[in-house]
Amino acid sequence: MKGIVPGLLFIAAVAFPLFFREYWLYVATIGLYYAILASSWSMLAGQVGLISFAHAAFAGIGAYTSALLVTHLGLPIPITMLAGALTAALFGLGIGALTLRMRGPYLALTTLAFSEIFRIFITAEYQLTQGSIGLKVPLMLGGSKLLSYYTGLGLFLVTVVTLTGVLRSRVGLFLVAMREDEDGAETRGINTVSYRLIAFVLTSAFAGLAGGYYAHVVGLVSPQMTRIGEMGLILAMSVFGGLESLLGAALGAIILQGLTEYLRIFTEWRLAIFGALVLFTLKFAHEGILPSVYLYADRLLNRWLSRAPR
Amino acid sequence: MLFFSQLANALVIGTLYALMSLGLSFIFGVLKLVNFAHGEAIMLGGYLYYLLASLRLPLPLALLASIPALFLFGVFLERLFLRAPYQRKMARYDEYVILVTFALGIFLQNLAFPIFGPYNRQAPPLFKGTIRLGELVIAGDRLTGALIAFAAIGILIFLLYRTYLGKGLRAVAQNPRAASIVGIKVLRMRSAAFGIGVTLAGVAGALFGPIFLVNPEMGTSFAVKAFVIVVLGGMGSVTGSVLGAYILAIVESFGSILLPDPTRALAYKDAYGLLLLVVVLLARPQGLFGEKERRA
Repeated sequence: MKGIVPGLLFIAAVAFPLFFREYWLYVATIGLYYAILASSWSMLAGQVGLISFAHAAFAGIGAYTSALLVTHLGLPIPITMLAGALTAALFGLGIGALTLRMRGPYLALTTLAFSEIFRIFITAEYQLTQGSIGLKVPLMLGGSKLLSYYTGLGLFLVTVVTLTGVLRSRVGLFLVAMREDEDGAETRGINTVSYRLIAFVLTSAFAGLAGGYYAHVVGLVSPQMTRIGEMGLILAMSVFGGLESLLGAALGAIILQGLTEYLRIFTEWRLAIFGALVLFTLKFAHEGILPSVYLYADRLLNRWLSRAPR
Repeated sequence: MLFFSQLANALVIGTLYALMSLGLSFIFGVLKLVNFAHGEAIMLGGYLYYLLASLRLPLPLALLASIPALFLFGVFLERLFLRAPYQRKMARYDEYVILVTFALGIFLQNLAFPIFGPYNRQAPPLFKGTIRLGELVIAGDRLTGALIAFAAIGILIFLLYRTYLGKGLRAVAQNPRAASIVGIKVLRMRSAAFGIGVTLAGVAGALFGPIFLVNPEMGTSFAVKAFVIVVLGGMGSVTGSVLGAYILAIVESFGSILLPDPTRALAYKDAYGLLLLVVVLLARPQGLFGEKERRA
């Protein structure tokens, strides 16, 4: 049973452009942006136990870095996207070094303050960023929707494979040990501060990468993408899909993004509905909605299979 | 003269900041959690006062009437989302409370958009006009706001140190297990503390209403300020929060005259908090009056 679901999802993702063109392909492309953000955020929150509210801001840093490098220096887009990821990682390193020495909610507090002030900064520095109007950015790959979609899929796979690889390595074992019992891990000689820092910097870099990708797919970066509501959206996607699994969070992102487009008339209510969804999930289905549905379906299937011979 | 007017302004705004961050600090002290929906409590207080005032209720009455409503709302939220996980000692409770309070904030903020509309509202001030002290001019709405906030802080301190409820709250803050052994109802104290914290934020929001504007997103920037103040003063410390509030107000007030470009100066007023936060985290992470963490 294991491995079948991811395999089927992968085939569906590769074949998707065969059945959907233009509008829904574009929706799925944006969905992949959120999938990268949600899966890296859920790794941080679910596996490491660190809650950062700067993930949307880091995506913004990646987007603005890449956009400014392309428009001012004329560098090729893949290089600027990497530079965006690197810049986000550097900011992550700074914030992490400041806050991860202490236990408690310091990271959450500081990242929230940071993202709010980053938004103020890019809105106020009009000469550099065009303020709230937003910065026009050249599209990647000549604006081809199909190629952008596959680039996004590739970046998403890189994200999931890298993060899963980290989680299955020694470092991943340390991270889970720290999450379960920090004092115990420390007495075993694990330098908890530096491993937490590694995890935070790594996931921040992927947020930056996703931001750069978003910039060159949409062609416009604006302070909107760093709003607190965007962070709420990433959180909703991760919690809906289940914080414990990267793929679950990614699937949550795709589903909620599709739902957003489907519920266009409710745009105003969108975040309120998603907020209520998160509250409901946290209260009644702590594992996440998708894992609960999956378990329930699995149980039904098993019951049906065991009944079949009679 | 500019110096004195900026100082007077800082003291007035600082008193309001103190009120709102005491709410956050209070919740942290008793429940040991940061309420990430604090900004939305401020926003709700702002709207409650605005709506009651637009019903032609006498203004002081509008302010007083919002207090029990805010308290009950806070108690309701604690019962709904925070009590059961605490009671059954849920695994990874610390992360849960951050997620649930943040999601609550997002929910309330985005519920306010369709209900109240995205517009800026100006709540009526309790006292119009200006006060002159020699050459110093202070707007009446700011001064009355600060005086009411001052009184509210006084009431809170009286409640904390001179009543039975306050004794219970402080006992739970120090050691919940010992408190429950001597017969204090810990769960009830936690509910009360959350209710009081929401009320303090809401009253601060009501007082901010006439000075700044009321809109669904107003809470975010105030909440960020409250976070900075609470970290600066030391999590859970009453004295620290009050002192931290005045320090932030003074830094903001004098920082904004350092920048020559007026539009930038206005925009970056909110950014000084982050600078202060970085300095505190570098130099004294436990805050001015915080205790250094002791590990089990």
